[in-house]
Amino acid sequence: MASVAASRPTPIAWLIAPALLLFVLFFVLPFGVMAVMSFFSSNPVSNPNAVLTTRHYQRFIEDSADIFHDALWATLRIGFVTTIVALLIGYPLAHWMARMQSRLGHALVLMAVIAPMLTGIVVRTFAWMTILQDKGVINTTLMLWGLIEKPLPLMYNEFGTVLALVHIYVPFMVLTLTGVIGRIDERLEQAARSLGAGRFRAFIEVTLPLSLPGILAGSLLVFALSISAYVTPSLLGGTQVLTLPMLIAQQVGTSFNPGFAGALGVILLIVSLVIVVAYNRILAHLAGEQGLA
Amino acid sequence: MSAPPPNRHPLDAGHAAYLALNGALLFFLLAPIVVVVVFALNPTPYISFPPVGVTLRWFDKFFAGADFMKALWLSLWTASCVLVLSIAIGGGCALALARGNLPGRGWLTAFFMSPLMLPAILTGLALFQSYLLAGIGRPVWGLILAHTLIAVPYVLRTTLAVLYNFDRRIEEAAAVLGASPARVFFEVTLPLIRPGVFAGGVFAFIVSFDQFPVSLFLVVPNGETLPVVLFNYMKFDLDGAIAAASMISILLALSVVLVLEKLIGLKAYVKL
Repeated sequence: MASVAASRPTPIAWLIAPALLLFVLFFVLPFGVMAVMSFFSSNPVSNPNAVLTTRHYQRFIEDSADIFHDALWATLRIGFVTTIVALLIGYPLAHWMARMQSRLGHALVLMAVIAPMLTGIVVRTFAWMTILQDKGVINTTLMLWGLIEKPLPLMYNEFGTVLALVHIYVPFMVLTLTGVIGRIDERLEQAARSLGAGRFRAFIEVTLPLSLPGILAGSLLVFALSISAYVTPSLLGGTQVLTLPMLIAQQVGTSFNPGFAGALGVILLIVSLVIVVAYNRILAHLAGEQGLA
Repeated sequence: MSAPPPNRHPLDAGHAAYLALNGALLFFLLAPIVVVVVFALNPTPYISFPPVGVTLRWFDKFFAGADFMKALWLSLWTASCVLVLSIAIGGGCALALARGNLPGRGWLTAFFMSPLMLPAILTGLALFQSYLLAGIGRPVWGLILAHTLIAVPYVLRTTLAVLYNFDRRIEEAAAVLGASPARVFFEVTLPLIRPGVFAGGVFAFIVSFDQFPVSLFLVVPNGETLPVVLFNYMKFDLDGAIAAASMISILLALSVVLVLEKLIGLKAYVKL
């Protein structure tokens, strides 16, 4: 889609002004404020004795209480495991949807994927609490059948957290992958099969490699979303799980240390920005491919 | 995209396993939603399984709770304002990006989409610190504008999808037939993109209504939105009132899905 040779912006371009104003005042500027606050000892407006300092970052690096590095590591680990499981669960669903012949079937599966996505995170976390707790659906059923003596520890740990996060973010994986798999010409797979490859081999050697950009884009999206999750780890993780977003909320809510919260925010932001840039590159690559097709 | 049907053998074991796997995955997606409905109607005072009957007492408790109702109204009010604001701001932004001949369009689009990718809890934190620094407290309009910021990308996405899909020759034809640019805009472009804008507005409403991470730091005590109230309640108590509130949220999500399907077709949303 080559644009017509260097033309000037039309009057319609002015319609971007309100959005630009909103984003500069309530997005760019606040993130700048957060970064600046992370270098101040206290609120520089209300407290004239506030000084510039790197102590918040030092506190994170020195980690004398031995919790900050663990929290960062736990955040990344939960994000990573969630992403892998979401990919393993999301791929078959996305493939099924992309290859479905029936329009009605496609619409129904799509609704089944999008409806949970539009249900609030608090609500979905609540649903998992009722399923996983000691008197929840799984434990009562297993005890009723006499398969276990006492309830399994399904929540207030990392297992329950990851399980619920997978459920919450797998629709994003499915939607990203469906788009990419749908664009792969089905005849390529058929050609491989007519040349003697089994269905499984045709998938492994043709469809799977061609869907790699989608796998990458979907995984980055789910990773970015799950490392910033707050509700699910704090309700399902109990005292065993402490992630960066939980630490940030603690600093704002109970410790009231906005400077240190800002520093933690900047650290999480840097991790996210790296992911966002990579994600946008892959999307641009995908869009370019689509343009050539 | 109507490829000739491939020669499938619907009864072979591999295909059966494939279908069974996908059936199980669909069950995983939908079962938690069903469970909420079961608990919303189950009369026991604590969450217990299997259910022993059907009752509406939890809906009574929810609708009779002053805290719940206050939060529900605040959430509905916020979401309604966000709906109107994000349609105006996001719709205009989409038109400018698609028809404005702006330089650096790709970069600008990525910029306006970025609130979706950056941790929402950080957007909340950054705004909290800015309001603190500006000394304005935590006003409701601050919450509404914060939600609008998160909702604009949804309106942008659905409107751009419609704008890029429709045939520009319709606009050109109107112009050739003597319509002024303003008339082309109001009588051709605007009616054509209306479903995309409305679909985005519906998304904006639900994104605001269900919003938690952005609201967390921006609400004041006794002035919390419904998700925040539910979250605080769940930390101490897990009874049917939460299930009833959740069921209302689920019904809202389902109606949104149906409205979206009617407006633009869910397929249009799937396209990135």
